[in-house]
Amino acid sequence: MEKISIYIHIPFCERKCNYCAFVSYCLNEEKQNEYIKKLIEEISNFKINKIVQTIYIGGGTPSLLSENNIRKIFDALRKNFLIDKDAEITIEVNPNSVTEEKLKLYKDIGINRISIGVQSLNNKTLREIGRLHDKKAAIKSIKLARKYFTNISADLILGLQHEKNVVKYAKKLISLGVKHISCYMLEVHENTKLFSLIQERRYFPLQDEEVVKSYQNLVKFLKRKKFIQYEISNFAICGYESKHNINYWTFGDYKGFGASSHSYIDGYRIENASKLEEYYSGKQIKEKKNSKTEIEERIMLGLRCKYGVSIKKLSELGYDIMENPYFKDYVEKKIIYLNDDIAYLDSKYYSVSDYIIEHLI
Amino acid sequence: MNDKLKYIRNFCIIAHIDHGKSTLADRLIELTGTVSKRDMQDQILDSMELEREKGITIKLAPTRLVYEYEGQEYILNLIDTPGHVDFTYEVSRSLAACEGALLLVDASQGVEAQTLANTYLALDNNLETVPVINKIDLPSARVEEVKEEIEDVIGLDAHDCPCISAKDGTNVEDVLKAIIEKIPAPKGDENAKLKCLIFDSHYDNFKGAICLIRVFDGTLKKGDKILMMQTKKVFEVTEVGIFVPSTKEVDKLCAGDVGYLAGSIKTISDVKVGDTITSFDNPIEKPLEGYKEVQPVVFCGVFPVDGAKYGELKDALDKLKLNDASLQFSPENSSALGYGFRCGFLGLLHLEIITERLEREFDLDIITTAPSVSYNVYKTNGDMLEISNPSNLPSAVEIDRIEEPMVKVNVFTPPEYVGPIMDLCQDKRGVYKNMTYLDKRRVELNYDLPLGEIIYDFFDSLKSRTHGYASFDYEFKDYERADLVRVDILLNGEKCDALSMIVHKDKAYNRGRELAERLKKIIPRQLFEVPIQACIGNKIIARETISALRKDVLAKCYGGDISRKRKLLEKQKEGKKRMRKVGSVEIPSEAFMSILKLDDEE
Repeated sequence: MEKISIYIHIPFCERKCNYCAFVSYCLNEEKQNEYIKKLIEEISNFKINKIVQTIYIGGGTPSLLSENNIRKIFDALRKNFLIDKDAEITIEVNPNSVTEEKLKLYKDIGINRISIGVQSLNNKTLREIGRLHDKKAAIKSIKLARKYFTNISADLILGLQHEKNVVKYAKKLISLGVKHISCYMLEVHENTKLFSLIQERRYFPLQDEEVVKSYQNLVKFLKRKKFIQYEISNFAICGYESKHNINYWTFGDYKGFGASSHSYIDGYRIENASKLEEYYSGKQIKEKKNSKTEIEERIMLGLRCKYGVSIKKLSELGYDIMENPYFKDYVEKKIIYLNDDIAYLDSKYYSVSDYIIEHLI
Repeated sequence: MNDKLKYIRNFCIIAHIDHGKSTLADRLIELTGTVSKRDMQDQILDSMELEREKGITIKLAPTRLVYEYEGQEYILNLIDTPGHVDFTYEVSRSLAACEGALLLVDASQGVEAQTLANTYLALDNNLETVPVINKIDLPSARVEEVKEEIEDVIGLDAHDCPCISAKDGTNVEDVLKAIIEKIPAPKGDENAKLKCLIFDSHYDNFKGAICLIRVFDGTLKKGDKILMMQTKKVFEVTEVGIFVPSTKEVDKLCAGDVGYLAGSIKTISDVKVGDTITSFDNPIEKPLEGYKEVQPVVFCGVFPVDGAKYGELKDALDKLKLNDASLQFSPENSSALGYGFRCGFLGLLHLEIITERLEREFDLDIITTAPSVSYNVYKTNGDMLEISNPSNLPSAVEIDRIEEPMVKVNVFTPPEYVGPIMDLCQDKRGVYKNMTYLDKRRVELNYDLPLGEIIYDFFDSLKSRTHGYASFDYEFKDYERADLVRVDILLNGEKCDALSMIVHKDKAYNRGRELAERLKKIIPRQLFEVPIQACIGNKIIARETISALRKDVLAKCYGGDISRKRKLLEKQKEGKKRMRKVGSVEIPSEAFMSILKLDDEE
């Protein structure tokens, strides 16, 4: 039976973080219930004959969900889908809204992976970026999660003001038993609070050089700690890689539910509307993949992770990448290396990967 | 002379840029418009639009004006001329088709360098030249002084010349009267053997090449068999007509007339501007004195951004050459830029116009290299080479001497700028010749300057140092020996031929250093550190380093939103399209023109 992954978007937050450009709203209980009702409708109306390998509840802040609502979601999922007994089921939580009761509940309904939005372990930094937790809360939430789960991931942000050294945070996380670390370089989007602060010269993110330096130090450190860099921003102890993410990057099918979620099924990329009203009315953008976009996506995704891109697959799609002079040049310079039919980007060049990929697509 | 000829006047307008030539032409068209002003204007606009669509320039579009004077209808053929120094040659083409010229002078600016140059041209062509003072409505107008200037500087009688405002229409009728009274009627015999001058041509997709002609003798009509005396080609006339100002077919064109002919001429090169047309069955013996072939003085490489468009670029250049005989080009191969053309132009403005037309009218993306002049290079073995592409310069040991083109430069300026202009000319290796105080407000300065220095940024520097008050003009003088060297640029150790330049030895160090600095600013960071070196032969004279790119990555692939990231990459890739890979280094196409802008950074 064919496999599929499921993503569920929970667009609520207590407060929007200063850097956040995601779809999320501060919703009261009534509005939350309304959203969940629509979400469950969407889940129940979707029929597919595939077995679910991974489920990911992301946001927003899924840990804000009431017990009742999260149970409803899982009831709907189990009623509507065949879920593999070894499926990876992740929920994103914020240190300040996760409680022991909730963690027990997650365990009870079958969740087996927790992703904690730590971002930093410096109180000043956390305040500056508008997080509602502090270092103490972050550490406490990890310790609590460890009581019920082994598969725990934590997020860190690179490039924040004064944060030239994030190795110390990674060290702490690992000592607390975190098995997976995602570290994202800060991207400043327009229409965020951080963007205005930077414009007003009230906030100074790190310079590119400093960001790359801190990134490279972190990569080196994690490697020593036996964390595998399986994608530009993702590191895990062997066996704790996020199957859900890998599925995105290796062209597996996935179905997203909820506002602004994305799906990729049978060659169609579908995006749900992000405004709640539009989502409720069923608005979607649907795009049939063609060989050009598939070629570009395969190169882009493949070179960003340790799984590489199949040259044979590209040539089946009509692109002989071996004929691209840039590709040849990169191979010659050992920036890209070949193993059988698969091309890999040397991880040393991840920090300039867009530059390289643009030459190849 | 027959009666008909008595009532024809063929004239052109010569003027310095901005002295109001187009406005006067519009006003004349409007004043003589017989039916209604509005129709006439619409017609002009329509025809210009049509012309633009076909990629024909509007310059030199002749117009037939009909004007009643003292109870008699006159036909006044206006042949437009471009005003810039680069186009002296074009002006002379127009002049040869006329008996007279209006010399338009701005009442506040007075006589300018180009006014003078063009007037001499008109006088050389034996044209009756009628001064007209324009812009008398300006508060700064100084009509009497300008009249004196015209009399003193040019030597034309200006005491009763028309003083007008083309803008508000004041006294424009006087111009029409002056044309009729002062400019002689054409001479010629419509019964004599056919003798016509081609003064311009353009290509029409339906009718083939169209010749713009002035008939000197004889009569030309549809069905006539004609001979192009220089190209020796024979055609049957399929249409003759006049410009009103759009084309209008007529039965015949007679001696004295200005008009056009079509003859299913499919091959562009069969029509040569300046050629004489006669009757195939009954030809004249001797052609009219044609134009002298003008020599281009400024050269640059023109390459398609997309190498596959070489053929399209060639077609476009062929089409442009049809009505611009002065444009020259020959294939060129650059290791940096691939296949393209080395093009020769009359001057920098001409270069700019042609490259802009290639981009706009032919929708081509092109890269142009920095302009160069043509050097006479004498080799030790006695050979002489004309080198307009710096990368073709032989190695130093093979060269006995190099000569560079010199020009005589005339600058007209208010006296307070004499100092800065002298500094500028000095800096450009100029040789002072003369200085004349024309009156309290104007000084004429004469210098000999290397043309190679003028094409860098002389005009811009002159403008900025004199706040736009000085005007200048130049003419070719001769070739003179100079101590010149080639400065090459190495990018990551590899020579980039398209960035080589020939400069005076004393300036080589500065130029090399400035260019290296400029390239450092223009060339984006690459995966590896890129050293930029300027050198003469094997000697490095300047070095800069572009440090390696550190960060170009969007770290997060949001959830399953793959399309967003792909689109971002596609967009960034689009921006890279104008980059050229030279060896292992990517260079934005504008870098190749950056040699030109060197002195901006001073």
